[in-house]
Amino acid sequence: MARLPLLRLFSLAVRQLLRDARAGELRVLFFALLVAVAASTAIGYFGARLNGAMMMRATEFLGADLLLEGSSPARPEQIRSGTELGLEHARVVEFSSVVATDNGIQLSSVKAADDNYPLRGELKSTPAPFAPEETGGRPNPGEAWVEARLLTALDLKIGDSIDIGNQTLRLSRVLTYEPDRSGNFYSLTPRVLINLKDLEATGVVQPGSRVSYRDLWRGPAPALQTYRDLVKPGLEPNQRLQDARDGNRQIGGALGKAERYLNMASLVAVLLSGVAVALSANRFATRRFDASALLRCLGLSRRETMVLFSLQLTVLGLLASVSGALLGWIAQLGLFALLHDLLPTTVPPGGLLPAIAGIGSGLVALAGFALPPLAALGRVPPLRVLRRDMLPIPSSSWVIYGAALGALGLIMWRLSLDLVLTFALLGGGVVAALVLGGLLLLLLQSLRRLLARAALPWRLGLGQLLRHPLAAAGQALAFGLILLSMALIALLRGELLDTWQNQLPKNAPNYFALNILPNDKQAFTDKLLELSAQSAPLYPVVPGRLISINGEPATEFVTKDSAGDRALQRDLSLTWAADLPAGNVVTAGTWWPQQPPDDVPGVSVEGKVAENLKIKLGDRLVFSVGGVNREAKVTSLREINWDNFQPNFFMIFQPGTLKDLPATYLTSFYLAAGHDQQIVDLSRAFPAVTILQVEALLEQLRSILAQVTLAVEYVLLFVLAAGMAVLFSGLQATLDERIRQGALLRALGAERPLLVKARRIEFGLLGAVSGLLAALGSELVSLVLYRYAFDLPWHPHPWLLVLPLLGALLIGAAGVFGTRRALNASPLTVLREG
Amino acid sequence: MGSSILTATDLSKVVASAEGELTILHELSLELNKGDSLAIVGASGSGKSTLLGLLAGLDLPSSGEVTLAGQALSALDEDQRARIRAEHVGFVFQSFQLLDSLNALENVMLPLELDGRKDARERATQLLQRVGLGQRLTHSPRQLSGGEQQRVAIARAFAAEPDVLFADEPTGNLDSHTGERISDLLFELNQERGTTLVLVTHDERLAHRCRRLIRLEAGEMVAPLEP
Repeated sequence: MARLPLLRLFSLAVRQLLRDARAGELRVLFFALLVAVAASTAIGYFGARLNGAMMMRATEFLGADLLLEGSSPARPEQIRSGTELGLEHARVVEFSSVVATDNGIQLSSVKAADDNYPLRGELKSTPAPFAPEETGGRPNPGEAWVEARLLTALDLKIGDSIDIGNQTLRLSRVLTYEPDRSGNFYSLTPRVLINLKDLEATGVVQPGSRVSYRDLWRGPAPALQTYRDLVKPGLEPNQRLQDARDGNRQIGGALGKAERYLNMASLVAVLLSGVAVALSANRFATRRFDASALLRCLGLSRRETMVLFSLQLTVLGLLASVSGALLGWIAQLGLFALLHDLLPTTVPPGGLLPAIAGIGSGLVALAGFALPPLAALGRVPPLRVLRRDMLPIPSSSWVIYGAALGALGLIMWRLSLDLVLTFALLGGGVVAALVLGGLLLLLLQSLRRLLARAALPWRLGLGQLLRHPLAAAGQALAFGLILLSMALIALLRGELLDTWQNQLPKNAPNYFALNILPNDKQAFTDKLLELSAQSAPLYPVVPGRLISINGEPATEFVTKDSAGDRALQRDLSLTWAADLPAGNVVTAGTWWPQQPPDDVPGVSVEGKVAENLKIKLGDRLVFSVGGVNREAKVTSLREINWDNFQPNFFMIFQPGTLKDLPATYLTSFYLAAGHDQQIVDLSRAFPAVTILQVEALLEQLRSILAQVTLAVEYVLLFVLAAGMAVLFSGLQATLDERIRQGALLRALGAERPLLVKARRIEFGLLGAVSGLLAALGSELVSLVLYRYAFDLPWHPHPWLLVLPLLGALLIGAAGVFGTRRALNASPLTVLREG
Repeated sequence: MGSSILTATDLSKVVASAEGELTILHELSLELNKGDSLAIVGASGSGKSTLLGLLAGLDLPSSGEVTLAGQALSALDEDQRARIRAEHVGFVFQSFQLLDSLNALENVMLPLELDGRKDARERATQLLQRVGLGQRLTHSPRQLSGGEQQRVAIARAFAAEPDVLFADEPTGNLDSHTGERISDLLFELNQERGTTLVLVTHDERLAHRCRRLIRLEAGEMVAPLEP
């Protein structure tokens, strides 16, 4: 026969596919791919959109998408390039100033904002202290919105007037929430919000005064990026750019972990799909041995046979993947509809990328897992038409597993974008599979001897497993993989939630108290005890600036706009302590023993700052403190848990070192909600002390974590569903053989209960063994993941030992259910065959 | 009538098809005594296998009744019929139908175990020796030739000492020489054990070794019951 053109082959393939579809033959493969692609697309969309939503929440912490901040006003061209790009712009000027009234004066943190502020989020305010909150609006010229604390401190009420510099302003509302009030807690005094138009009239901002100029930008991501690229090279030393990601450590951390978790989950979904596709493609190929032999007899070349079947699979794969992507998209729409109360009103749509990635993953999985069985089809000897027992020479296992691993590696790499992790996981997986598979084979061999004289249902049930130990081991590994995936996802979910929960315990400090004078120290502590507020220790604070490292000016060690640079640009809060504060870990050197300091006192430096300033153990640092220079030797480096809402310090001195300098004290404490009056009383009793409420920030963080938690749980559900679907398609793959056996046993007079019992034994044992494999595997994989992907401390999980039991129950039940057609097969079918 | 082991009365089988109802068997009656042998012959599609299925209780007729070992089959559910098959019936199939997951000995033990017999292993071993496979007890079906597989199937069919043995084209998948040896074995054992034999075949020579013969054409009996 002449060579068939590709087009003819294609139309032949499509026609055969349609015929086969009618016969119901390819449904399993189609379904496996559909589920897998739907799961991975839905997770992809969910992840992308939720991430977008969370980023939007995070931008609220800045009040903008991007922030240009400096101690001098932005240059006109820096503003012009932004407006030319079509970005929205708002301007804020912040400074400290004394608020004067007839009752007295109070140092306040004044924010002057223009009429566009804020660009993200809304201001919240009340018409009177503790009245219901209203959202939106901003002070008009001539007005000031102030925090309730200022009213208390100066005994004011709404409607009174205050003076800032030369300008008199009327108090119009109580300010309760600013979307961008995360900043630096320690420098905050009561907030006064005024209109930017009043700023000049105050006359407070003069050349040389300490002022923060903030230019807020909002717009589409590409334009923001362009703006960033344009402005970055020309930044003044005092200027820096900030976006949501560097805006807040706590949120950044939570987002990063959630993103990795979601990627992990879609990887698991793809992994499961791989197993399903491999199983059903194998069935597809085995069932086409006859057809393939016939086509070869009819004169089709080996290549043409291969192309024909490959085309069939490709068309099927495309159809399944596209439908799967659509299904996944609909599934995530449903989820977002379900969660609309919890999520921000505008969730970005997510684009086409997750759908394309889902389809891509499906096709890559199909190629990797279906090609090897397909290759066997090309090798079916044409003689099979005469002698049905002739089987194709099997592919070398290297080809089979190599292709599958290659496909998996590709997908994993795309999802986690981390080559080391990908290879660690793949390599670990292969080693684990080989070791566990070997052990399993040994186990089955010994079981075989043991069971030679066992009762009939046991021998019937186990006959299948024991007669083909290699196939049984493969099956156990496949089921084990499903259980492993689920266990791992559940494990990580629990671990992530715990970590976040620990980060924000119920009684995380919700107040900070600053500027406690040494004379008030004892009284303030007593008062807190009286209120039974849970308080951190009181830390002395002395403002100081790092001026030299080993005799060289400190500025030589840093590049412009780096984190180290920022550490030098402002006063650091210097403290001293005899004991290492909670949440701090010494990473190098030693914490000082309890003894008087040497000639040169020791200082413990936070690790990140040390890294940025290239500070090593033993370096001599000179600080300028209140006009006096103090030298200290670096004796240790520390890592700080920034998430704990405790006072944290970059520099801690040996006790006694700074004692002669004027210090104030600060602490954080927790007081349950509903104690507003006590706080008011506290600030009346200690007028000099600044009390900051961080409840709003905590609430924001908690609500974001709640969203992440929900996402994590939803994803777990999805993976479970995918796993079950795969389990059933796996069972389907052995169904033909089981139906034949079931019918034969029925014909020979076996009653249904015997068959059910044999099935239960078979699948129960298979499930138990898979569960055992999964338990061992999860521990192994979690060890790798915790260490390298999630940065979590690893400890053994004894509860994983329920997996064998769970596996026995789950796979036992699913096995009996999935093969019920074999139990109900009419014994008559034995006559129909052959 | 008293010694009849298998009777069929007015058996009909009608199935639904795209073109309406299709009659596969039409009002067929027969009666077999203990030790009888019956060959059912006919062209493909004449209803031979359907008749065999009905007689063995693998399927139920649309109308009429089969009585096997004194039990009217249509009154029983599938599990009760399975019980009857386990106690009274043996099978030999064209495609052997051995369980791949069991070895030769275990395949032969299977009906004995279904019947709850304690001496399954000993009896199965004896039977395999009888069919000449004493050296192949632990071989799996895949390791045996077609003729050997059919010997295992015959040993299995006689293992539980059935009253009736049904054979569906027992030599259909074998070459003529091997087929001859297999049919010899079948009739030898049939005589030794006094079993009633019902066989469906294309092979006229095999058919004529039976004491009785019926020929089916389009679901109706066209030949006399006696050859």
